[in-house]
Amino acid sequence: MFSTEVTADPRCVRDDFVPDGSYFDQLEEVFGASSVVLRIGPLEVLLEGLSPRQAEDLGRRFRPFVLGRAACPQISIVVRPAGVEDFLRVRSQGSAETYRLESRRTAEGLTLWSYEFAGRLDHSKGQAVLGIVEEQGDRFDRGLENFLRVLTASYILERGGLLMHASGVVRGRAAHLFFGPSGRGKTTVTLLSPGDIVLSDDLSLVLWNGERFEASGIPFGMAHHRIPDTADSFPIASLNGLVQSQEVSRERLTGARALAEIVASLPFVMQETGQSERALEVARRLLQAVPAYRLWFRNDPSFWALVEEPSR
Amino acid sequence: MMDLHAVPRKSPNSAYRVYDGQATIVLPDRAEVNVLNEIGSLVWERMDGARTVAQLIEAVLAEYDIPPESARRDVLEFIEDLRQHGMVT
Repeated sequence: MFSTEVTADPRCVRDDFVPDGSYFDQLEEVFGASSVVLRIGPLEVLLEGLSPRQAEDLGRRFRPFVLGRAACPQISIVVRPAGVEDFLRVRSQGSAETYRLESRRTAEGLTLWSYEFAGRLDHSKGQAVLGIVEEQGDRFDRGLENFLRVLTASYILERGGLLMHASGVVRGRAAHLFFGPSGRGKTTVTLLSPGDIVLSDDLSLVLWNGERFEASGIPFGMAHHRIPDTADSFPIASLNGLVQSQEVSRERLTGARALAEIVASLPFVMQETGQSERALEVARRLLQAVPAYRLWFRNDPSFWALVEEPSR
Repeated sequence: MMDLHAVPRKSPNSAYRVYDGQATIVLPDRAEVNVLNEIGSLVWERMDGARTVAQLIEAVLAEYDIPPESARRDVLEFIEDLRQHGMVT
């Protein structure tokens, strides 16, 4: 479900490091005394223990999503040096392997770890510890962002929303989501919409505000590191499962097939039975409120004429 | 293959919803999403850990005009298929 691929260094075939409870308890160092607050949909996240440079970088990269101060952050994350070179090691030799993410749920909370990070989240306290293997560069960015992705997916699901593997484009104050696995054209659709607000070219938040479903981008969702144009949310007008084609057409997706397609586009939350049950229910409600289509499109903006048609 | 007296059970590792009469079943362990047709969904819904295969066949016959022998064969094959896909224990 998660599309990042890592090309193996043939030298890196060693055992994984599995972080247990005592690992997090003995993490004491921090990178520095700086902090940043991010707003991700309804979620405010306080990142503490950052060096001034890390805080400055994050503030610049995630600018539309950075808050001056947290009124009441739902989750506080202390970011610490991991003290190890890797948690997961690339298994294959010289070929690509699908991004691996491990998780464990215990009385202490949810523990997640991957190549460059390990984090433990205590949902009841709204507190997390995150160990990252490097202080800056791609591995720091990837570790932080991947932890935040999973945390966001879990938090939003609990509040009746979804993190979808979908690009999002706003036209006429209405959001249209374009979903499908990597290579189906999610980014292409955003590039074919130059005058519109792009919420995301890879991961979009679907939020339930008590009356309707809305979409917003996330600061780290972009496959090509393009930061969304805005942190605002917009009512969702359509869900479109993409198929690249020479023809432009669409047909309504309904019933169990539509439900299956939506839940197959939900990263991170379909790995446990309990979360899967919840995701199925939220997706069912979404489909009752918003029309879903299969959209065949070619490499020009002509698909918009269909997408903007009233639902049928 | 299960016999008529066997009691099939939904896998506790599966999650599902029935929407417009059809079941969408998620298997987190296998990262699979499956959709059952209308008759398959009826069997799935009635599979409560108490009904035998024979009783599930009767449930299908009560709802659909199908020759009993083909209902028996189809339900047995269907449950076996579910079992091989990890949806039934």
